[in-house]
This record gives sequence, C-alpha cells and structure tokens, in this order.
Amino acid sequence: MQTLATHDTIVIGAGIAGLACAHSLAGAGADVVLLDRARGVGGRCATWRLRDQPIDHGVAFLHCASAEMWASIYAMPEGERIDGWPKSVSGRGSPCQPRAFFPDAHRMALQVGLTAWPKHLAAGLSVRLQTTVTRLSFAGGAVHVHLRDGGDLRATTVVLAMAGPQMDPLLTDLAEVTDELRATQRLLRLLTSLPSLTVMAIYDRPKTPPSWDVFYPEDSTVLQTVVQDSAKRREPRFGALVMQGRPRWSRQNLDAPAEQWTRALLEETARYAGAWAKRPLEFKAQRWQHARVDAGNELSGPILVSLPRDCRIGMAGELFSPGGGVEAAFVSGRRLAERLLGKG
Amino acid sequence: MIRAATLDDLVERDRDHECEGMGPAKVCVRIVGVADLPTRFGDFRIVAFWNNRDAKEHVAIVHGDILYASAVPTRMHSECLTGDVIGSLRCDCRDQLILALKKIANQERGLLLYLRQEGRGIGLVNKIRAYSLQDQGLDTVEANLALGFRDDERDYAIAAHMLQSLTVQSVALMTNNPRKIGELERHGIEVSGRIPHVIPPNDHNRFYLETKANRSGHWIDFSGKPHLTEQSDEVVVDGSRS
Repeated sequence: MQTLATHDTIVIGAGIAGLACAHSLAGAGADVVLLDRARGVGGRCATWRLRDQPIDHGVAFLHCASAEMWASIYAMPEGERIDGWPKSVSGRGSPCQPRAFFPDAHRMALQVGLTAWPKHLAAGLSVRLQTTVTRLSFAGGAVHVHLRDGGDLRATTVVLAMAGPQMDPLLTDLAEVTDELRATQRLLRLLTSLPSLTVMAIYDRPKTPPSWDVFYPEDSTVLQTVVQDSAKRREPRFGALVMQGRPRWSRQNLDAPAEQWTRALLEETARYAGAWAKRPLEFKAQRWQHARVDAGNELSGPILVSLPRDCRIGMAGELFSPGGGVEAAFVSGRRLAERLLGKG
Repeated sequence: MIRAATLDDLVERDRDHECEGMGPAKVCVRIVGVADLPTRFGDFRIVAFWNNRDAKEHVAIVHGDILYASAVPTRMHSECLTGDVIGSLRCDCRDQLILALKKIANQERGLLLYLRQEGRGIGLVNKIRAYSLQDQGLDTVEANLALGFRDDERDYAIAAHMLQSLTVQSVALMTNNPRKIGELERHGIEVSGRIPHVIPPNDHNRFYLETKANRSGHWIDFSGKPHLTEQSDEVVVDGSRS
C-alpha cells in the first residue's frame, strides 16, 4: 500500500492571511503547501479582468499602520503603486474601514490590480488552486485534509485561513478530538461576518466621469460603496465602476437571482453618478458571502490548538486581529507563523 | 513643585504633566479632577485620572489624608460591570469591592484604585462571549487568549503611576495574591505590608466553604455557573482556609 507523504504544514486558503503565514513558514525552511478553491491567490484581495482591463472587485485599496505590511508591499517592483489612492473621496456614508481615512493613514492602490501583491507573496510557494477542502479529520498521527475531488492530503500542522464562518464546518470532526477545538468552534459561531453583493461594470468612457475615486453614499439602503476603478489605471480604455451592496441589503438578497440584485445596484449607482451608469458595456456580479468581519467581533490574535501526537490546528484571518481588514489578515498570518515556529 | 496640601492641588500640579510612561506600554496618567464622594460605606474623595494610552478613565477612591503618607492600605480593583453593578454571582467582584471600601472607610486612611479593565482587559462584550462558552461547558486557555485575556502587566503599570501621582510613599496592599506585591515593587512602588482580603461568608459565597474545587478546577456556585476570580486575587472567605 502506498503511504502518502505527510507535509509539515498545509495552509487552507490562499488569501492574505494564508499567504502571509505560508510565506513566513517557507522562509524559515518549513515544507508548506497552500490550497485554495479559487482560480487565483489573494482571496478578497481580488482583481478580475473585463475586456482585459483589471478591476479590483473585493478590496478597493490598501492601507495599514503595520510596518511589516508596508515592507511586504514595498518589496514589490517599483512603478506599480499609486500612493495616496483614493485621493478624492465623496459622500458621508461610513467606509468599511474608517481608520483608512484617519489623518495619518497611508493608502495606496496598485496600477496593475491589487492581486499583484498576493501574487508577489505567493511567488516560490507551493500553491494548489481550484482545490476545495470538504472536511478535516485526525488519524494515525496526522491531520487529514479531505478534498472534494476525492483525494486527501496529510500534515502535522493545518492552518485554516479563511472567513471565520467557513472554518466552522471544517472543524466538526476534529472538535471530537479536543475540547479546545470544540470551544473554538463554539466561539466562531458567536462571531459574525458581513456579506456584500458586488457588481463590477465597464463603460464607454463617460463624458463627465465622477469627480470622486470612491463614493460612500450616506442615504442609500442598497449601496455601501462605489469605486471608480478606472481612476486607478494608467490610460484606461474603459470607465469602470465597482458597486458594493450594504450588509443588510446584501443579506436579504443573498439567495435572489443575480440579475435582480445586479439591476438594483446599477440603478442605485445611476441615482448618484448619472443615468449612464445604468448601461454598462459589460458587467460581472460577485456574491461576497463573507465580505468582511462584522466590526467588534475580531479576536485578539490567531488561535493555535494542539492535537495528540504533536499535531496542530492554526487559525488566521481578518477575524484574528483587532480592526479586521487586510491588515488584520496579514498581521494574524504573520503572528500565527511565529507561534508555529516557536517564536511567538 | 510646592508640596501639595490637598488632593485638589494635584490637579494643578498635573496640568502639564509629561513623563516617559510606565511599563512596556508607556502608560502615563495624570490627575484631572477631584471631588467629594460620600458613600454608604463612608466618606471618600474620588480622583479622576486621564490616561494617554486609551480612553479608559481610571479613578482612585480615597479616604483620609493619603498625601505623602506611608503604609497606606490600598486595594486594586478591576472594573466588573456584571459583578460590581448588577450583582452577578458568576464572580466575587462585588463582595471584594464592598469589603475593600468598608475596610478602608474604617481606617484612618486608605485608597482603592478602580481600574477600568473590564473582564481583565477583554472588554464587556468579550467577557460575555467567554461566559457564553462557559455556559456550554467550555472554558479553555486558547479560546480565552483569542478573546483577549491578557496578563495583568498593564494594570500594574497604571496602578503604580496612579499611586505615584497621589504622592503615596508606600502601600499596605490588600490582597491574597502575593505576586501583586512583587509586580508593584517592580514598577517602583514600595510595599510595606500585606493585608489579607478575607470576605465574610454570606449566602452567595458559602459554596467556597461547602465545596472543594470541582474536577475541572473551577468553583461552581449554587446556580450551577462556573465561578470566576475576575480580580486576579484568590478569593478567601472567612473560614474557608484550612
């Protein structure tokens, strides 16, 4: 009988938290495999292409206070950063990350699309994309990662790096093994995330493009944010908007047909930007079921639980560091890697 | 600096107070308000502190003349909304608070530092989340860490600075936790003695006398809820010591 190799570490979820963790572990010489169900790395730090024009349809821009996150971004090749973006912000609605607009906050976008950063972090790592994990189990001194396509992988350490509610079902079998994981699973159920129905759309360049880079309407029950994505691009061929729905409205429409809520987002945007916004050349709908952590639910740090036979389960993500957002994801991934390496 | 004659003088003294701060978090507090506070336990003055690190507004409850005094009976109390105010039986915070205030009021001088560190720093919401886990029989180290339970390092830094601001020369610490003495001393406070903090038995804490710690090492009170020592101070009920 063939025995499968047991990896040091499998990281499930190649978003910013998983990448930050795997990057640190690999840097320390560990054997790490990253899995993600999507076609690319980055998770919600996502860029799609419509008619070959990049559009960031998850995170719209980066901001942070953490020096190590800056160092990671600045380690990328020059010429791609647009420092200070968004420069022009309109509307008195609340940004999903108010601290991005504190006077000392440093914001930036990437001209080629925000996924450039996660791609940079993933360079040299062993990443398996389009790989969906259905459950975890513990047997024979290893954690088994069961894949949708039928196979399974084994590791002594498994890191979950995804939205909190997505971890819950993966923990069910392991929760029988240790009280710590049972407690963790219950804890995760107390903490909620917010959805956002999102539409990205491209247009013939409008005669009067919006004067803002980002717009936070204060009086809409539908729209949280509209981002003029084309304002990030050097000589864009098209105008591009990304419209993100408010949490409550998104939750109410989460199971509705995409055509229905897409139309609602386009029409609501047209109320503010002009009738042209209703008629895109092309658009794509994105259902972010766990767009972001519900503020106030964040935990103080990553979780690391020991299993018998020196096996471990780690958890990182924006839920696992105060403040949430990309920075929390990055920082929690790094902190978890330090704990796994015995430095934290 | 002119020697302060009353607590009120300390507000003027601290108007431009700046210092390096104490502990790794560089906590600096200054006295910003003083008022009389008559209570059902006796007459006190309340001293309000401004804090440079977070919006936590700490207070000292002072009885008698503590200015430049030595061996001042001193109690450190961490805020506990559920216990102090609501009378929760999941902890002994209210018993400990009332006992301290009564004891201090009956002496020539003394003070209580009321530190606004709800749930030992994790905040009210997360304390209630922790209770929710305990209700389900789960009280684990990792979950508590994730909720933000931290060591008391910061409390000692704040307490030490508050005592220094109050011009107290040395304290007689009202505690059952000898570690607290060393921690305060490490922050430059002279501890001249320790006063055991022994709670009189009552209907709500008699389980300390009647039961021993259960298998999980937790006290379970008569309503079946795990009982916490939220003041990081061993609970001693009169008669419970062997």
